[in-house]
Amino acid sequence: MKKLQELLHATARLKLFKPFAAVFETLEGIIFGPTEITAGAPHVVDNIEIKRYMTVAIIALLPSTISGIVFFGWRVLLMIIASYVAGGIVEVAFALIRKREIEEGFLVTGLIFPLILPPTAPIWVVVVGSAVGVFFGKEVFGGTGRNIFNPALVGRLFVTIAFPQIMSASWQKPFSDAITTATPLASYKSAGELTGLMDLLMGSVAGSIGEVFRIGIIAGGIFLMLTKVANWRIPVSYLASVALFSWIGNLIAPDLVAPPLFQLLAGGLLFGAMFMATDPVTSPFNHESKFIFGGLCGLVTVVIRSFSGYTEGVMFSIIFMNALTPLIDHFVLKVKYRTAK
Amino acid sequence: MALTLLTVFAAAVLTHNMALTYLLGMCPFISLSRSLRTASGMGIAVVFVVTLTAIINWPIYNLILVPTGTELIYYIVFIIVIAASVQLVEMIMERFFPPLQAAFGIFLPLITVNCIVLAVSLFMVIREYNYLTTVVFAFGSAVGWTIAIVIVAAINEKLRLIADIPKGMTGPGIIMVILGIIALSFLGFAGVVNL
Repeated sequence: MKKLQELLHATARLKLFKPFAAVFETLEGIIFGPTEITAGAPHVVDNIEIKRYMTVAIIALLPSTISGIVFFGWRVLLMIIASYVAGGIVEVAFALIRKREIEEGFLVTGLIFPLILPPTAPIWVVVVGSAVGVFFGKEVFGGTGRNIFNPALVGRLFVTIAFPQIMSASWQKPFSDAITTATPLASYKSAGELTGLMDLLMGSVAGSIGEVFRIGIIAGGIFLMLTKVANWRIPVSYLASVALFSWIGNLIAPDLVAPPLFQLLAGGLLFGAMFMATDPVTSPFNHESKFIFGGLCGLVTVVIRSFSGYTEGVMFSIIFMNALTPLIDHFVLKVKYRTAK
Repeated sequence: MALTLLTVFAAAVLTHNMALTYLLGMCPFISLSRSLRTASGMGIAVVFVVTLTAIINWPIYNLILVPTGTELIYYIVFIIVIAASVQLVEMIMERFFPPLQAAFGIFLPLITVNCIVLAVSLFMVIREYNYLTTVVFAFGSAVGWTIAIVIVAAINEKLRLIADIPKGMTGPGIIMVILGIIALSFLGFAGVVNL
């Protein structure tokens, strides 16, 4: 193992490979892990760094990924590879041109993005979305840890708006080849039809690749929260506020607003609340603002699901609240500072 | 009636937002969204001027221009009214809030050419609003624009702390990218309220 590392070092030092130094460094980091233990803030004395955060996140995403491949076939693996390649090219190009290190944040973005796509989405849509998400969602802000919006969601939002027909008509029930437009939320909206809760939990309904096997999502989310990579405040307040607002809405206008339990399990809500709203970079950093963030996310989700032309509001709500995050943090800090005086 | 007014207000803020849907008022938007303080100041000034000009322009158009058959010159009339009311706001600010006026510098007189002021008056003519609806629509449009500029200003303040923006993208470039992404998320509200 050690010799391999030395060999890699020697190759990296060759003049020929000078411009690609960043690539070698990343390879080394992924294969061998960090060699130095950081001494100062913010990682005090452990050798934890972004990489470990990313590893934990990827482990938490495994149930959704594997269930996606099992449910929808090997094509899903191809989509994941396409997403990694397209986003990776953008990432590496930025790193080489700007002479920075390649950052590992991309490993999670590149995996999440195909998981929130419909299972029969064309490969070129995956490529375009992943590249746009990484480029405009992350790299123009300076890379991992400096972005305002969740890059995977920026990509998803872009392809949803740019190719509406492809995105709304490429759903599929697990273990079948028939293409359908009827996700549980869509069939509620068009026919007022409620899908069984057990079906939703086990994932035998149409939906995005990673969102259908909901037991796996819940397990992954709890794992994320136990390892403290994701903060429990955001998912809890997000889900609670969806339940609360859909309960109130269902009492007032039952034909427009779906009942709370169905809303909690249907669509991408669980996936969004567990894996995307909790992104530590794009969500607020105060405890209080995290509750506000989650609560408003829930409100926007219910409003869009019930009243707008779109059937699913999770991605809109999270991007919307990403935009509001700095403002919420600003005002919460201001109020806190005042009471402290 | 109250419901229509509420709908018009919500539509002007959310689904037909001046900055995010029509991309109007971009010059002050880009130059003043660097800090929260100037952004909210500019926003308040815009809310005041837009509502004021709509209040004045509606009677002028419907009670003077239409009966005399001189709708042709409504562009000129609207612009003159806008210029005059901006002058008024500037004088009030100079007298009562000098620091705010100093912070605005050249941009306060530029409200005159802030497209949304004229746009609101023109929309009111095209959409044939009655008086009350016009006032609510003008107020809502200006509030929507203010919300947009305040959101972007807060993002900008955070970016100054954490971001490492490529050279070519600093300033207006990154603001246009942020605006685009926020506009995408506002599209989710399409159909919630209609004008």
